[in-house]
Formats: sequence, structure tokens, C-alpha cells
Amino acid sequence: MFRNKKKIEGKYIIIVVVILVIAALVIYAKTLKEDRKLNMVESLIKDSVTFVEKIVLTPFNYVSNLIDDFTELRNVREENEKLKTSIERIDAIETENIELRKEIEALKEELNIDYVLTDYEYLNATVISRNIGYWYNTLTIDKGSKSGIEEGMVVVNSTGLIGKIIRTTTFTSEVRLITTSDTNNKISVSISNGNNKVNGLINGYDYENNLLEVEGISNTEEVNVGDYVYTSGLGGVFPSGILIGTVESITTDEYDLAKIINVKPSADFNDINYVAILKRKDIEE
Amino acid sequence: MSVAIIIVVISFLLDALVSNHIGYTLTDPSIFKTIFTIVSLVSIYPYFNNDKKYLYILIVTGILFDIIYTGTFLFVTLIFVIIYFVNKFLDFFLPFNLLNINILSIVSIYIYHIISFIILNLVKYNSYNINLLFNIIVHSIIGTIIYTTVIYFILRYIYNKLNIKQIR
Repeated sequence: MFRNKKKIEGKYIIIVVVILVIAALVIYAKTLKEDRKLNMVESLIKDSVTFVEKIVLTPFNYVSNLIDDFTELRNVREENEKLKTSIERIDAIETENIELRKEIEALKEELNIDYVLTDYEYLNATVISRNIGYWYNTLTIDKGSKSGIEEGMVVVNSTGLIGKIIRTTTFTSEVRLITTSDTNNKISVSISNGNNKVNGLINGYDYENNLLEVEGISNTEEVNVGDYVYTSGLGGVFPSGILIGTVESITTDEYDLAKIINVKPSADFNDINYVAILKRKDIEE
Repeated sequence: MSVAIIIVVISFLLDALVSNHIGYTLTDPSIFKTIFTIVSLVSIYPYFNNDKKYLYILIVTGILFDIIYTGTFLFVTLIFVIIYFVNKFLDFFLPFNLLNINILSIVSIYIYHIISFIILNLVKYNSYNINLLFNIIVHSIIGTIIYTTVIYFILRYIYNKLNIKQIR
């Protein structure tokens, strides 16, 4: 035992703690708005520490990647065969793409849609840290305003929609995941079932079952389990056509008037190492 | 004091490192997940006889945690200060040994989660239910005990080696 212990009255501790909790509440309410920007000093500190973090993490990530590569080596022969078949089809796909681009342009004009997925280019980034504060549902990535990243840009990975940029510094950015139950961040989605398309809003996230809840769909609309859910492009934040997940189950609201669709996200939020940020092609760096 | 600072810095970086390799989401928390920075701050506390120096380290760490990991402003710093006061109170009743330092660490992790949960529900979000909080605090026990025990022995070994009884 090292300290010279002095007894402190419990009631004083309780008073101090209560005051601090109230202060935390006030500060949090005031400052944790999504549009809160880091000031210059904060940005500088974040960039510097993140740089150190990256250096420290590099050997660990290298070893981790080596292990992953070794595991993947087993499937190389099978993948090689698949790729050979794909290469043979590449000319046909390219021709098809040219035709599809023309069709997209025509449809955009007809439907009055500003931007679709083909109007964006992909900026790749590596995840530096993931959700350390536990309750914030954020990722930190190694690309910032210097790479042309801005707040509000959409973040995806190979499996689907991840979230959007909420904060940037010169060399880093923070991504808020779509699993955040923030009522200010509703995402407009389309549920696609062959030719049938239904629009709704992601209204929350069920943490216990890992399901996104889509609301705003009339009970008369046809939606089936297994249907794909994409961003609709309405609302202007997310471009249309980004995969979010598949319909897992369907229930109705308390008045039996509207459907509540539970969607299984396509992305595994526990395993995100690399992401891509969608950047509009018409924005100059 | 430099040993204590090094332990806190390593723990701070460990938070980033570990988050990249084990489950970190609210849905699926890993049993080995804890908040290493908080555990290190609790573990170095008994070695400080000078509370001002300890508070200085605690506040600087809190501010860095705010800026780098959560994007908040003084929010985590205030939680760290609350943890300090609670530990100061409990420290009077609990003699310094492995069991008690583990209890203090677990209490501190719980305080962090409970305050975050309450304030987030009050201020910003609306659908974190109480089961989620229980799930997270139950999952954080093993990670907290393992890391507290490791730091306890490291600090004891180093301070015995350096023949330092307390940081003045």
C-alpha cells in the first residue's frame, strides 16, 4: 500500500460526481452535434497521434495480413479458374456496359435523378481504429481533406453500404456507421423484388438481432423475405443503387397499416479493414 | 512518473490496435474487449501520492481520448474525472492488492459505460435499451481482469526494481 490515505466524506464525493454528470450532460448536448468540426489544434493533435498510431499498427497489421493471405492461398486454384472464365467474358461485359451507361443517362433525365452510382469515383482508405468509445459507432480512416474527402461523403466496402463521413482532419476522417440509431440520419431505401420496387426509410437498428428497421411502407405493398434493399437516392445524401442488405423478416405496425421490414445488413461491421469513399466525379480536388 | 506515463501511452495505443482485430460493435462485443486507457489510469493511481500529478495525466489523457477516439469535447475527460473521484472514495476502504485493483477497474469501466449510456439516451439517440448495456458490461469483465492483472504485475515489478514506493 503506497498512498497516504485520507478519508473523504461520501456526501462530498456524491455532490461532485452529480455536478460532473450534469456538466457532462450539458457539454455533450452542446457539442456532440454531427456537424461539430474539430478546430485547428484538435485537428493537429488528431493527425499527429494518428500518424504515430499508424506507425505502431503497421507491423501488427502486416502480420495479420500475412496470416490472412496464407489462409486465402488455399483457395487460389479455385479462384484462378473462376477468373479465367471471367476474363473470357470481359469484352462482352464492356460492350454491355456502354449500352447500360446510355440507358442510365436516359433514365436519369426521365426520372429527374441528379446522381447515380456511376457518377462517383472510389477513393480507397484503410481503417485505423474502430469504435473505441464503444457507444459512438464510428471508424477512423487514413484519408482526410488532403485527399479530397469532405463531410457527408458516402463510405462503402465490397459488401455494401458502411456509413458516411462525419468529420475530417487533414489526414484522417471519421465515418459514422449506418447502424447508428440516430433519428436525424434516416436513410431512404428501395426494396427490389424483380420489377417491383418499394421505397421506405431506415428508422432504427436492432442491436440485439443486428437488423436495420425499415418503415414507411404501406401494408398493401408487396415485399418478400430475401428481397434486396438498396439506397434509393432520394434525400440527396446517398446515391442510388448501393446495396444495404436483404429482407430478413416482415412485421406490421400496431395499427396494421404499415409494414416494418427487418433488414440484415450485407456488410459485416465487425470486420472492416478497407473501405472506399464515393466521390462525385464532377467535384474538383 | 515516466513509467506511469509510458503505461498509459501504451494502453492508449492498445485501444486502437485491439479495436482492429477483435469484435468491437455494440451487437457483438468480444469478451476480451475493455477500455485499456481507463484500466491503466486506475492501475497507476495507487502509486501516486500526489493527486495533482495524477489528475494532470488523467485530464490530458481524457482530452486526447476525446479528440482522437470519440470526437467529443471534454465529455470523456469529465467521465475520467468522475472515475477519479469514485476511485478516490473507494480507495480509502480497499487496501491495495490485486483483487481490489481489479474491483476498481471493473467499477471504472462500468461507470464509463453507464454514464455514456444514460447521457446518449438522454441527449442524442433513442434506442439503446438496457439489455445492450448489460451485455456490454458483462462482456467487458474478462478483458478488464486480464489487463488489470497484467499491468498490476508489470508496475509492481518495475517499481520494485527501481525501488520506488510512491510518486510524489
